[in-house]
Amino acid sequence: MRSDIKGNISSFIITLLILFVLEIFSTALFPLFGLSSIKIPFNILIVLFLGFKINSPYLAFMILFTQYFHSFFSVEGWEMGTVAGILICLLISYLKDLLHFSSAIFTIIVTQIFQVVWFLIISGLYYLKFDGFEYIIEKFWRFIPESIIISILSPFFFSLLDKIWNVGEGGMLGDEA
Amino acid sequence: MSILVNDNQKRTRLVLNIAVLLLALIRFASKDMTLQKTSFFENVVIDIVAPIQKSVTTVHSKVTGFFQNYVANVDASRKNIVYQKQIADLKGQLFELDEVLRENQRLKNFLQFGKSIPYKQVLAQVVAWDSNSDNKVIRINKGLDQGLRLQAPVITAEGLVGYVFRLTNDFADIITVLDPNNRVDGIIQRVRTHGIVEGYSKERSIMKYVSRTEPIILNDVVITSGLGNIYPKGIKVGTVSRIERESYGITQHVEIFPAVDFSRLEEVAVLVGTKSIEKEKQWNALENMDEEGSKR
Repeated sequence: MRSDIKGNISSFIITLLILFVLEIFSTALFPLFGLSSIKIPFNILIVLFLGFKINSPYLAFMILFTQYFHSFFSVEGWEMGTVAGILICLLISYLKDLLHFSSAIFTIIVTQIFQVVWFLIISGLYYLKFDGFEYIIEKFWRFIPESIIISILSPFFFSLLDKIWNVGEGGMLGDEA
Repeated sequence: MSILVNDNQKRTRLVLNIAVLLLALIRFASKDMTLQKTSFFENVVIDIVAPIQKSVTTVHSKVTGFFQNYVANVDASRKNIVYQKQIADLKGQLFELDEVLRENQRLKNFLQFGKSIPYKQVLAQVVAWDSNSDNKVIRINKGLDQGLRLQAPVITAEGLVGYVFRLTNDFADIITVLDPNNRVDGIIQRVRTHGIVEGYSKERSIMKYVSRTEPIILNDVVITSGLGNIYPKGIKVGTVSRIERESYGITQHVEIFPAVDFSRLEEVAVLVGTKSIEKEKQWNALENMDEEGSKR
């Protein structure tokens, strides 16, 4: 786990630049190839990575900035993602002894589980806004392919971010800096 | 010592988590889902980001255009003959429609209809889509500098697209009729029944609050009613694609298939009311009067 501030800032800026490139692809390029109804939420992948592997007191700010950066590409705004991200990171901090990323399969499973938690939190917030389940059911059918794509991408993506954040590839959680 | 540092870090982490969580929840609760005003910083960042999105879209369209126009264009001459015939037919139809338009104008004048507000059309190109699949939002390459205003209606030749939700100097985000945050006051053209058209799924909208006794049938055309002060009256929204009438309840479930094919949307027209500046001044004057009244 990483907890030094200076290293975190530079790594975080690089992570945001990667998110920038991925968001450009997701918003401008993928729809041209017919992927307009399904969008790959790369911001969730980055927030999950931060939650899983970064042990910083400023994690809440990192999530906030990631979501704020994402809001330039989406009218969704930063609020819902920040709430979901922080709650998930709190949950991860309680479960860290049970989680490890020693194999790709385990990384995929853990990412998928926490995406379900993300979906539940966001759906709860949508329910408060729209006061109905119709929209959430429709969202659920989009969530299935999107979350599977994210989970499959996670081992590759996490290994890339591991190098940027300079953390070991397997079983980061529980390690002290 | 290290235990003290750890405790300190834990405390800082807890305080920051609670503070950011509260901030996000307060912002979420107070957020206006119908339009979004951008700050100076957001304005600058979006104006930097959007040209990159635009260039990606342009490069793609140039490449595909090359293949479609030159490489794959083998039977162009044969298609040309068919199109010439279609153009001739359409010219005939256009002439007939022109006559209908003149007749309509004459009848309108005869009935002394109120003078409708003239709109200026600003043509724009779609440069990107929203990065979240929950939001059916598109980004166009025209903004404040080209005369666009928040909540200006957006259309194509086929029908209604949506309205301007977020605006920067050179770009605008359009919330489409497929988005659940977009609500359009619509009328079923044939039976003149009112309802609220709301985004429902990736390719459907639903029309809410339609009484169960209304004799709506499949393929009925839905148009804007002009109520709500956003969309002008008479723009085609879509056609009725599904109706569910239960034996109980007071309304029926009506699904609308949009007139616009959003999967192939490339260009749109933004309707900018030429009197919007005067309107804005009037609103500002009213707001100032309210503020002065409350101070007294």
